[in-house]
Amino acid sequence: MKPHHHLDDATLLSYSAGALPSALAVVASAHLERCAQCREGLDAADRIGGVLMQQQRVDAPTDDARAAMLALLDAEPVLEHPAQPADIVEQDDPDRLPGALHPWFGNSLRALRWKRVAPGVQRIRASGIGGGTLMLLRIAPGSKLPLHSHGGNELTMILDGAYDDMLGHFGPGDVADLDGEINHQPVTSPGVPCICVAATDAPLVFSGWFARTLQPLFGF
Amino acid sequence: MMRSDQFAAEVAPFRAQRAVPPPVSNAVPDSLYWSTQMAAVSAQRDRASFMRIYDHFSPRLQRYLRNLGVPESMADELVQEALLTLWRKAALFDPARASLATWLYRVARNLYIDHVRKEPHWLPIQEGLDRLDHLESARLDSQPESSFDQDLLRQAIDRLPPTQAKLVRMCYLESKSHSEISGELAMPLGSVKSSLRRAFAKLQGSMRSPR
Repeated sequence: MKPHHHLDDATLLSYSAGALPSALAVVASAHLERCAQCREGLDAADRIGGVLMQQQRVDAPTDDARAAMLALLDAEPVLEHPAQPADIVEQDDPDRLPGALHPWFGNSLRALRWKRVAPGVQRIRASGIGGGTLMLLRIAPGSKLPLHSHGGNELTMILDGAYDDMLGHFGPGDVADLDGEINHQPVTSPGVPCICVAATDAPLVFSGWFARTLQPLFGF
Repeated sequence: MMRSDQFAAEVAPFRAQRAVPPPVSNAVPDSLYWSTQMAAVSAQRDRASFMRIYDHFSPRLQRYLRNLGVPESMADELVQEALLTLWRKAALFDPARASLATWLYRVARNLYIDHVRKEPHWLPIQEGLDRLDHLESARLDSQPESSFDQDLLRQAIDRLPPTQAKLVRMCYLESKSHSEISGELAMPLGSVKSSLRRAFAKLQGSMRSPR
């Protein structure tokens, strides 16, 4: 199914520029895997990067640098160990997590080992991510989360289930790309738990909406 | 010209490079010029064409990486790595999908994230996304890059209002996050994002302009 809620254009620019904090980039990658529209936007962002790179004023390479480059060509072919592409495929297996999440959470939704952190709320935190905080959350169906706003940037992608808030209905594949100006109160849909992956760019301060929801419960 | 170059390249590869006149510094060759050079690299392993690409792009990639804060010796290595990638993967370059500038920008950006920011999962993810796009462009009639005019984009970048231009450059050329930009310019995070959004809309519009 095609997502209805997309990455913010400012997020796409940062992603293309290599300037998005790591945790947010993981969630953005997961959405890009499911969203041809955002991939097209990313192409446009990359073109801007290409033009900016090319526009810079520079001097011609030195003779030494040219000779070094040619010497490298002479040394080719070398044994190559091409990076194995991530497991990113077009398929609609509801159990399969997006490829970008595999290094952090494995590949199966069913195989996840949840930790209960509050009534109706379970969580798995990714460990060892450099920039920001990355976690999976599983919220019981029909839960109403407290009204809250955001400190820094937060990127949340729905993997299963759904929720509604003032911005609309968010189902699998949709991302909520929010900053401090949004004040909202999500309500998870009845039926199945809402499972999402959430990233914030604050490494220590829990500023995002799910995180903030958990904050008073856990004394973060 | 092409034939004699090729012949020379076969006989005396090194001298042939030396015979290539340096590109005129002010003129920016267009995408078509570069895809012709890439075709020669790919089909004939033509070193003269490769060195034309090298002469133009390597100092620009070097400057790009240095601006991102990469130390000089590492930047030199990454530029060589980027150009070696081009040499090895020339056959995969598809001018209908990306201009050479865009392609090399991605290669250098990916090397930066892999080697400098040390995010080991970035490269495989980008390769995976690229493969998805491959499948897709084979099936859909998506807007190929060849249909957009790099000059129009260049002009649109030059026409950006000063603040938007500054933010776009901080983002791309200094690799600053929204929060870092917000902190450095004492500008609210929401304003940083909305300025970037407006800039992107304008630049995207320029790429869609009818010829």
